[in-house]
Amino acid sequence: MASLSDSAGAGSGGRAGAELMVPQFLLKVLHAILAARSPRPHAPPPPPPAASAFRRRDRWFHLPLHLPPAAEHLPEPSPAEPLVVDVYLAPSGGGPEEVLERWTVACEPWPSPAAAGEGLAVNRAYKRCITLLRSLYAMLRFLPAYRAFRALCASGQVYNYEMGHRVGSFSTPFSRAEEATMRTERLAPVETQLGRLVVSVQYLPSLAAFSFNATSLASAAIITDYVGSPAAEPMRAFPASLTEAAGSPSPQPSRRPNSWASPAPWPHTMRQPAKFSPPPAHYASPTPSPPMFGYLHSRFSGETAPMSIPQAGGGRGPMHQHHQNLSEPSRAFMFPPPSPKYLRGEAGRQESPTETNRSFKRADGIRMGDLYANLPSGYKIKDSRDESGRSSGVFSSSGSPQLGFSRSSSRLSMQDDTDDADFPFAVDDVDPDSRPGSSGGKDTGDPVGSSFHKSQDAAVGYLVHLLKSARPLRDFSYSSHTSMGESIEAGSTSSFMSRRTSDALEEFESFKEIRENLLARSRSWLQDSLDKS
Amino acid sequence: MNCETCQLKELELELTEIRDVLRCILHTIFFHRTLSLVRPKDVDCDFLDITYVQCGLPELEKEVDEKIDQFSAWVEKHPNRRSQICLSFFDEKHRHPGWFVNKTERIYWEQWFINLQVMFPKRYSKSNSSKGLTNIQANAVEETSTRRAALEASINEVLFQIIKFANEKKDHIPAIPDRIFNHEIMIPSSDSVFGWNTDVIRRVLNSGHPYSL
Repeated sequence: MASLSDSAGAGSGGRAGAELMVPQFLLKVLHAILAARSPRPHAPPPPPPAASAFRRRDRWFHLPLHLPPAAEHLPEPSPAEPLVVDVYLAPSGGGPEEVLERWTVACEPWPSPAAAGEGLAVNRAYKRCITLLRSLYAMLRFLPAYRAFRALCASGQVYNYEMGHRVGSFSTPFSRAEEATMRTERLAPVETQLGRLVVSVQYLPSLAAFSFNATSLASAAIITDYVGSPAAEPMRAFPASLTEAAGSPSPQPSRRPNSWASPAPWPHTMRQPAKFSPPPAHYASPTPSPPMFGYLHSRFSGETAPMSIPQAGGGRGPMHQHHQNLSEPSRAFMFPPPSPKYLRGEAGRQESPTETNRSFKRADGIRMGDLYANLPSGYKIKDSRDESGRSSGVFSSSGSPQLGFSRSSSRLSMQDDTDDADFPFAVDDVDPDSRPGSSGGKDTGDPVGSSFHKSQDAAVGYLVHLLKSARPLRDFSYSSHTSMGESIEAGSTSSFMSRRTSDALEEFESFKEIRENLLARSRSWLQDSLDKS
Repeated sequence: MNCETCQLKELELELTEIRDVLRCILHTIFFHRTLSLVRPKDVDCDFLDITYVQCGLPELEKEVDEKIDQFSAWVEKHPNRRSQICLSFFDEKHRHPGWFVNKTERIYWEQWFINLQVMFPKRYSKSNSSKGLTNIQANAVEETSTRRAALEASINEVLFQIIKFANEKKDHIPAIPDRIFNHEIMIPSSDSVFGWNTDVIRRVLNSGHPYSL
């Protein structure tokens, strides 16, 4: 705060503070530009030292900067004249200079003495200059010329271009052609007692015209990492990429994205077991009765099967990785057919009405838990999802068997043809097929019908549907795998792009599916009521 | 004191790019809003050709990384969803409503909303011949390169958006302390799951078709 204190003290002097601050700002800007645009091939920039190592003068605007070597012999800029810095590229052997950037920092005086900002506090202007200087410092690293600067600073590299700079109070105007290729960024000015401080830059948005970038980076990326290695045996492609990944971090950081792109599928593959392991444990814990345990056990076994394949594939070479990738679509297609059989078996075991009563009691417990626990844990959420699954099955048993079966099968086929995101709802639709097929379906129909005549049961029903909607979130992960399987079979980029662009349509289809599901239940309930009357 | 808010442009990225992108954006905001003495530190992204500036504060770096880890964990549980991270700056006011009561109130003066949509990558399978494998890999490389270039361009737009906002909005910033301003980073929580479901149910029920006839 020493600098700010000095400025505060100078504030009482009025104009004197601004006369001291503005030249320091121009000098700071010049140092910042030259430090990031004057390549030093043989002297890499030293690591930033502690703040205490900087001199007091370096702490102006709370941004300590060392004096760059390129600025040692330059005169200090005058606040009465604008500061113009041109950064250009020129061929190493000599040739025309191409301006990459033109930085202009000027203190535009007030039009008349009366308009001068006599009332402007130096403290306020100083604080705003801090942000302005930080923006310039950051912008120097975001603009394309910084990449060229870094490339030319790299040790051990020789390029056919050199980067230079010109500092002055005026510059040669750009031609119309040059002006058209340039882009301009102008920062919001800072008002001071001397005038308005304005910082602007005109820059080339792309350096593709300079062959040194294309020659060094593109050739390294294409030949070394991808073109050369796949041309050899497929077995050697993966070890080669690993070798490149191991060797490239420090000497050539620009190549890291290419090497990291190759093993990207591996982390995703390894993450799959973690997704499948937690749910079975949570499902098994709250089951007191053997039939419920059996039901969860069958589900647990179904979800456990995919776990072994990813682990085996992850632990072996690229050949097994490909094998694991191929197994994805097969698993996806294997999922729908077995589920009706399992659910029918489960329905057969739940013939007694006590099971129905227990399910209703659990539903009440869940509702109470939601009411009294403001922070539901993940376990509760998962338990609720499981309960909502069973309860929805009980409700759906009131419908006719044939209609339910045909409706779900048509939905399955439509969803397979159009969107895989709706697959979780297809899983939910399988429940009606198993309930009507058992002899116990009719017995459970009576409690379902009577439940709609009570207000409390209506609330329970609403809660059940609310929780039922939460269920697809758990299945979305499986849906994403299914979509990946589909894209693998298609083998085309266009399908992936179309899927991304049709996210809104998928969401709309999901909403329609929910509405149709609710309407179907309403109609089935109405039919059941009419049959009773 | 009015609270200034900035909605940053939404970015589409993959799981492996979350750390790079969030570090770049958060530290750029902090660099502009830390008006006390800093030690600027240039940092290169791992997967993207972007260099950003940190304030050189180890505690801040640790805090940002912890929040990014929490956000990544949330994304893995909720794939393919839009998400929003909020960085807020605030002042604390100590009030004394009673003789023996002390109350601290937070007065927010600036909020930044970072909008992300995390996509999961496409999988590639083995082809029957080595030539087919070469073609598939070449397509994968080209697609990744194109997508990364587009992402870098979008990130640059966001960074310039930060620079523009930081310089246009300055009057609301309080006095410079001797340390970083009070702040908090809010990430999505699991409560939003029920919020999403409730919204879905509400839309269905309001669609003009009553559940009970």
